[in-house]
Amino acid sequence: MTHPFHASGCCPGPGRRRGFLKLGLAGFASLTLPGLLRLRAENPDPEHQGKAVILVWKPGGCSHLDTYDPKPDISSDYRGPFSVIDTKVPGMQFTELLPRQAALADKFTVLRSMRNGAGGHPAGSFQMFSGDSDTRDKPKPKYPSWMSIANYIKQQHRDPGRSLPYYVGVNSPSSYNSPAYLGDAYGPFTVTGDPNDPKFSVPNIGLTDQREVRHLSRRSSLRQNLDTLERAFDQAGELQALDEFEEQAMTLLTNPQTKEAFDLSKEDEATRERYGRNTWGQQLLLARRLVEAGVEVLSTSLRGPLCGRVNNWDDHAVNHHVFDALRFRAENYDRAVSALIEDIYERGLDKRVLVVVTGEFGRTPKVNYQPSTGAGNASAPAGTRQPGRDHWPRGFSNIWFGGGIETGRFIGATDKLGEDSIERVCSPEDFMATIYHHLGIDYSKITIDDFNGRPTPIINQGKAIRELIG
Amino acid sequence: MEASPRLRKSLHGAVMKLESSLLRLVAPLACALASQNALADDPAVSFRNDVLPILTKAGCNAGTCHAKAGGGQNGFQLSLLGFEPTEDFEAIVKEARGRRLFRAVPRESLLLRKATGQTPHGGGVRLQADSHGYRTLQSWIAQGSPYATENEPLLTSITVEPSRGIVRMNADQQLQALATYSDGLTRDVTQSALFESNDDAMAEVSENGLVRTSNIPGKVSVMVRFGGQVAVFTAAVPLGAPVESLPAPNNFIDDHVFGNLKQIGVPPSPVSDDATFLRRVSLDIAGRLPTPEETTAFLESEAADKREDAIERLIRSPGYADYFANKWTSVLKNRRDDTNDIISNFAFHAWIRDSLLANVSYDQLVKELLAATGTIVSNPPVAWYKRVKDPKEQLEDVAQLFLGVRMQCAQCHHHPFERWSQDDYYSLAAFFTRIGRKPTGVAGEDLIFHKRGLATAKNVKTGADLVPAALGDDVGKISADEDPRLRLANWMASRENPFFAKAVVNRYWKHFFRRGLIEPEDDIRETNPPTNPELLAALESHFVESGFDLKELVRVMTRSKAYQLSAVPNEHNLVDRQNYSRYYPRRLQAEVILDAIDDLTGARTSFANLPAGTRAVALPDNSYNRSSAFLQVFGRPNSQSVCECERVQSSSLAQSLHLINSSEIKGKLAVGGGRAARLQSAEISHEQRVKELYRVAFSREPRGDELSTAVAYLIEPIEDASGKPLSEPAALKQNLQDLIWALMNTKEFLFNH
Repeated sequence: MTHPFHASGCCPGPGRRRGFLKLGLAGFASLTLPGLLRLRAENPDPEHQGKAVILVWKPGGCSHLDTYDPKPDISSDYRGPFSVIDTKVPGMQFTELLPRQAALADKFTVLRSMRNGAGGHPAGSFQMFSGDSDTRDKPKPKYPSWMSIANYIKQQHRDPGRSLPYYVGVNSPSSYNSPAYLGDAYGPFTVTGDPNDPKFSVPNIGLTDQREVRHLSRRSSLRQNLDTLERAFDQAGELQALDEFEEQAMTLLTNPQTKEAFDLSKEDEATRERYGRNTWGQQLLLARRLVEAGVEVLSTSLRGPLCGRVNNWDDHAVNHHVFDALRFRAENYDRAVSALIEDIYERGLDKRVLVVVTGEFGRTPKVNYQPSTGAGNASAPAGTRQPGRDHWPRGFSNIWFGGGIETGRFIGATDKLGEDSIERVCSPEDFMATIYHHLGIDYSKITIDDFNGRPTPIINQGKAIRELIG
Repeated sequence: MEASPRLRKSLHGAVMKLESSLLRLVAPLACALASQNALADDPAVSFRNDVLPILTKAGCNAGTCHAKAGGGQNGFQLSLLGFEPTEDFEAIVKEARGRRLFRAVPRESLLLRKATGQTPHGGGVRLQADSHGYRTLQSWIAQGSPYATENEPLLTSITVEPSRGIVRMNADQQLQALATYSDGLTRDVTQSALFESNDDAMAEVSENGLVRTSNIPGKVSVMVRFGGQVAVFTAAVPLGAPVESLPAPNNFIDDHVFGNLKQIGVPPSPVSDDATFLRRVSLDIAGRLPTPEETTAFLESEAADKREDAIERLIRSPGYADYFANKWTSVLKNRRDDTNDIISNFAFHAWIRDSLLANVSYDQLVKELLAATGTIVSNPPVAWYKRVKDPKEQLEDVAQLFLGVRMQCAQCHHHPFERWSQDDYYSLAAFFTRIGRKPTGVAGEDLIFHKRGLATAKNVKTGADLVPAALGDDVGKISADEDPRLRLANWMASRENPFFAKAVVNRYWKHFFRRGLIEPEDDIRETNPPTNPELLAALESHFVESGFDLKELVRVMTRSKAYQLSAVPNEHNLVDRQNYSRYYPRRLQAEVILDAIDDLTGARTSFANLPAGTRAVALPDNSYNRSSAFLQVFGRPNSQSVCECERVQSSSLAQSLHLINSSEIKGKLAVGGGRAARLQSAEISHEQRVKELYRVAFSREPRGDELSTAVAYLIEPIEDASGKPLSEPAALKQNLQDLIWALMNTKEFLFNH
């Protein structure tokens, strides 16, 4: 047993400690599992029950200047070729690439002043996923992602009757986020593949073959008859935990509700069309369907062939013709995201579910020209000089909706050339804190011990962005 | 699952909004002046001796609050837990243009208004306006906020009264913290000291030092901190049940374990039966299930010393070396970061494994590792220096792994519960500063040599160049020609070293008894005392006397009756979690479960670049985790950390799904020539089939009810997809697979118990 609390005067006598337990979501080192079960019963915390978040990730980083933060009056070596359109929100303009979102701009909020400190994909992603302030690229994240932390905290209070995992990744942003020292058990339940494929199916979920279900139930009851090890010695609650997970696994496998949550064919055709009959569209529809059914942390990454030649948003000139690439993606991206926005509000999920769409950074405001390294979608034949934009963490945009937040506005600003966030600058930790706040996780108070036993705060410096608090 | 062992929550530190309090200062000025002189006339208050302990107790300098280590909320930064009084004095008195203090009207000082919550404070109310602490702060401000008072004595030590005692369950014990100063005077500082229990489930302690025990028997300690000094109160909490019969002791371990049980009144469970013992000891020594032949022979043997005999066979078996090499290579970070690492990974693993098999003494093993020079191929322990390159990481790993001392914190600040300072940290680092590296023909691999020169390391805070010293011990002058690592290795392995033997016997104790005598097993410090100090001391001296003999260490532990106790509690000892009155069951680790499933199903997992039949416990490095979903899901560590806690031993949904429905498990059940197939075609009775499965899975015979349940299942008819009954052999085959699946999914299989 480690010291359960950070040794400090922050932890006065037992009386206050217990009182405090009732306020937050945190689990406690000194509690045994039965203790936690009791705690759960006493402390239902209805306000945050079932609060959920969807992260829509644009791996590689999306050009802010060509989408949500256009600068129509600057010179063409910065501006790019896209014209600017008005949105439903007076004073807020997007580029022509996002007509559907422009028409729905009253239903979301654009944060134009994100800033992180890292120029590489690994470090930039670590910043956005785990708040790691290290600007160097490391092979693996040092800290757990906020998704895993949320999953970990929720599991301290897990409901054994759940028919779905807390944390699901639908083609999740995989390489740079991990549970780190929390252990792999707190990673996502991972769904891969193309949800638009008629043959798409999720392994280990809702067996379709009724014969198989009967078979499983039959041998499962045999197991129960033979599983006779004395439970009496189970002081630490381990056997009980295992029983719970087994029950949950059986539920996932056999519960028709679980199967239904993953079954896009249950959506009507019009809805499926509205999201777009392609990987991204159906991915976001599946995300919505899953949080509606009870998943509380959902991450999904918009990558693959719909991005262009290199399968992501990393629009260096060597990879893509940045403008061709953005145009290439625009239709599917705009359609899928706008459908998700509409759907979240139409289905009344807008208080419970917070959605954020972002990448690890933006892209260089100044356009540069380099020879392409290969032909393909949105890239000219090798050797052809084409425009590109490089990594740009100093100022970039993301969009937020649902979560009960005030929408139809933009927050913050970059400077004239879109180079630096200058107003309401928000850090990756502010970004994370905003999400924790929505999930009811008291980020200023929770620390988790790393492998060395050092109590590591889940947020060091960040504060929830007040304009994005519901 | 152990409930969130690593999640913590402090009690304040919420979002803080800095608001100027200047506007509020004017009005109360007049009436405040009256009480001013009284405060100024209070006994002289010093920042160092009086104020700082109050801030520490109030939690101001805690990690999640204003400590620099945690970032320091809103620009107000203090040293973590007040270890740098002069810096903290600067921060409070001088920074922010001195606006934190207001001498004319002390109670309008921002420091006090924030602390009492009169001005919005993210940390909430930390001090009550009528408290001793508040009054002290007020007087100090009124007196002109001096750092120290004239000729003030310095704190030299603290003690706690009582320092040990017997406290009944559900009872109270008041502690008193006493501080002794350089003038010889002693002061009661209970109100300003911090108290912390090392196990809240056993005893909680109030901020005023009142200890309240729960209903769990054993040893619990309370750490008392004041002014950077620590003292410990240790309580024995007896259960007080009659202990009438104790198993006849097999060795000194039993004397100590049973002696303790008698003292605290916890009757032990009886010694386990033969079948349970054999399964347990095979899993713990060799990481595998006993074979059915071993089980049969053991159960049938009438020899009086058959348990000792089984232990000897296991210790001599290659399984022992495989299993313990697996343990050590993980914490020694035998990690495959690059495909080219394979040779180094294999060589390092083979070196450890062969050394364990040949029973190279532990001190020798550590010396070979620590002082390694040359190339990996000629001298495999060099591989450790390939992966652990930074001298800081080297010293941290060595300290934690071989000495049980965690130095990481001391890199940046004085360790809050420890005596280790930054000087200790960097003088330990100095041992590793003369390691030379030359590139070799193999990419990424260096030849390691001693680079001639005087070893020194700079304390980054003070700028002082420090010569090597081993945790405060002078190791003598080291000439430029001598590799300082040798000196460190000799210091570590000397018989008098207080850490070296203790760390490894405690680590091995945890391996066999599930809970270390000190927990966590690699966090040995005065403020974290062992639950049975006499036993730990006896183990240490036995280990040193034996010449650091690791096999003897395994032998002496497994031979004890304490190790052989049943896991099933009696009417008294269910609550016992640390006195070893029964065996504490634990889930098998990833590699062991995979091998056990292979043994049970008759399938074999194949691993790249390794001969067919290589067992998972014999894998040389972490790279196989990537190709084996099983190892990954069940938490085999990736050799990232020197801490065994990297291995995930708790259960998860993914594990259950994997066992229940993965294609990997389905494939193993149905494997051609596997156990289900063989049992189906063998001309034996259903009873014999079930008995074989029980012998393999549980190392025992089925009970009557189990036998009849299983046999009944085997003869159930099954229908195919079209509703027609399957042929008898086909149905039997499937039913056998189901039965194997069912056994593999029981707790009896998945746990060592």
